[in-house]
Amino acid sequence: MTVATLRRATVLERSAPMRTAVELVLHEPEAAVAAKPGQFFQLGVDAQHTLLRRPYSIAWANPDLGRIGFIFSVVGAGSAWLGAREAGQPVELLGPLGNGFATPGPDRTAVCIAGGLGIAAFVGLVKGRDRLGRRTVVLLGARSSDWLLPADRLRGAEVRVATDDGSAGHTGRVTALLPRALHDDVELFMCGPNEMLLAVVRSCRELGFPLERVQVALETPMGCGIGTCLGCALPARGGGYLLACQDGPCVTADRLDWDRMDGI
Amino acid sequence: MVASGTFGYGFDAPQVDRSALGAMVTKGTTRAARTGNPPVRIAETASGMLNAIGLQNPGVDYVAQTYAPQWVEWDLPVIVNIAGESIEDYVEVARRLDGRPGVAGIELNISCPNVEAGLQFGVDARLAAQVTEAVRAATEMPLMVKLTPNVTDLVGIARAIEAAGADSISAVNTYLGMSIDVARRRPALANGLGGLSGPAIKPLALRAVWEVASAVEIPIVGVGGIFTAEDALEFLLAGAAAVQLGTVNYVRPDAARLVRDGIVAFAADSGLPDLGDIALRPRRKAVHV
Ligand SMILES: Cc1cc2nc3c(=O)[nH]c(=O)nc-3n(C[C@H](O)[C@H](O)[C@H](O)COP(=O)(O)OP(=O)(O)OC[C@H]3O[C@@H](n4cnc5c(N)ncnc54)[C@H](O)[C@@H]3O)c2cc1C
Ligand SMILES: Cc1cc2nc3c(=O)[nH]c(=O)nc-3n(C[C@H](O)[C@H](O)[C@H](O)COP(=O)(O)O)c2cc1C
Ligand code: FES
Repeated sequence: MTVATLRRATVLERSAPMRTAVELVLHEPEAAVAAKPGQFFQLGVDAQHTLLRRPYSIAWANPDLGRIGFIFSVVGAGSAWLGAREAGQPVELLGPLGNGFATPGPDRTAVCIAGGLGIAAFVGLVKGRDRLGRRTVVLLGARSSDWLLPADRLRGAEVRVATDDGSAGHTGRVTALLPRALHDDVELFMCGPNEMLLAVVRSCRELGFPLERVQVALETPMGCGIGTCLGCALPARGGGYLLACQDGPCVTADRLDWDRMDGI
Repeated sequence: MVASGTFGYGFDAPQVDRSALGAMVTKGTTRAARTGNPPVRIAETASGMLNAIGLQNPGVDYVAQTYAPQWVEWDLPVIVNIAGESIEDYVEVARRLDGRPGVAGIELNISCPNVEAGLQFGVDARLAAQVTEAVRAATEMPLMVKLTPNVTDLVGIARAIEAAGADSISAVNTYLGMSIDVARRRPALANGLGGLSGPAIKPLALRAVWEVASAVEIPIVGVGGIFTAEDALEFLLAGAAAVQLGTVNYVRPDAARLVRDGIVAFAADSGLPDLGDIALRPRRKAVHV
């Protein structure tokens, strides 16, 4: 059971880490202490004709300064409203919600594969590992260089890039970078569009990399964010569904039925 | 009270002060456990949301054995919303809940397809009456029947349900609708169609309550798009004896308290000692209850 708390945060800063995204830094000390990488918040939106809160990954949290960062692209009315918040304005937060990433053992290399804004889920993870001196590799894929989070936001990690149009790094899908990165000591993390997740799972199967060692941060439309509406169900291995908001958003990839994930 | 499907079985909702509620209605519960529909199951629309959850629930035995004993500890009546695909299904679910400590009553969700008849119980006055009568015979507990608004003759169906022995009527369930994902050129919901709820349906639900209130004597519980105390007061003025809050629970976890406080403040401000009498068109006294 998720114990969710409704909080009022204040916008400290709004910026554009890349041309295609907004970064919102909020001040809410208790939430910043409670927030763990991979968890999410439901952000209140007061745009015309919208209703539900919008789920966003905690990009990073700084408990000492009471700050939480969110990185997102504007895709509709809710994100447009949030992306127009200015310093000093309030934003309502419900959370932190769901299960974050499980921390890999100290001798492990974390490989984070992200598509587009999926990278937002990994900023805090990379930071935390950098502080502990642990090895992290980021495989970052996007349509074009405009959609890439600058590598200086991922300090301490080895960043390898792929773009569909070849404007930066490898030309083509980010999954092409996987074979060289998946070694015996690796724990794989993934976040991005469904098609990318499916491609990563296919690669892992081909390469014999066990899905128990793949953690996925799930993103699917959500209603409540706390397990009451049953709206965020995703197909579970062995039948039935798991709830992205409650069983996830971070789960190991072996818990999902990837055949039924196809086409969602 | 909180509406079915928007509060689970009462264990996950955050920060909700149960003392602000008059009752809780659970998620639709069936004879056997159900895994529900494939995703995508929900989509937001202008001032509303569509859902096609598919009655995912752990089944009546789990509810009776695991949840009901916990409800006993609560000082809040819990009404179990029940659903089925045949009259036997409904009767069996009601029978297994009958007399369970912790279960205060039953809400009959008749917006489910009847497998034999191939249409929903709630769209046909004869079928609606049959299922109400059968469940009535299976339980002594208070029985509330929830109308589906996706019908032509809502008033006729409400009358049939009253005659079949329902103690009260809740109106209404969601309105059938759909949304299409233009970029992907396919329906937004995997199920194609879904039930619309939220502020978008409030005027429609209000009309349903207004019409049913003039046709039956048993109490009516208004539901559909209520977000504020003023919304709730509209339903009371239209003839409802109580209201249920649904979608608003996802948006404002403290909605029940705000609505209740607002109603109390309205009653005090307007010097009304008894809100039971505020209906615009006086209702005749109920015969049962
Ligand atoms: C746990 C979780 C974490 C997320 N973290 C981030 C993040 O860090 N950065 C970020 O940019 N986005 C993130 N998302 C996606 C984000 O929630 C949606 O982009 C947002 O809700 C869209 O709202 P809107 O009103 O702007 O768009 P809408 O008008 O509601 O929708 C616009 C388009 O986005 C799609 N969409 C709607 N909701 C979602 C969703 N939940 N997931 C995927 N697509 C959706 C719709 O199908 C539609 O095509 C996350 C989603 C989840 C569930
Ligand atoms: C996600 C969701 C699930 C629902 N599940 C049920 C259900 O299981 N049984 C039922 O009778 N009504 C169900 N409803 C309908 C609500 O109880 C209510 O009648 C409807 O949503 C209209 O009220 P609202 O606009 O306040 O939400 C559900 C509604 C939603 C949004
Ligand atoms: S979003 Fe409501 S159950 Fe997960």
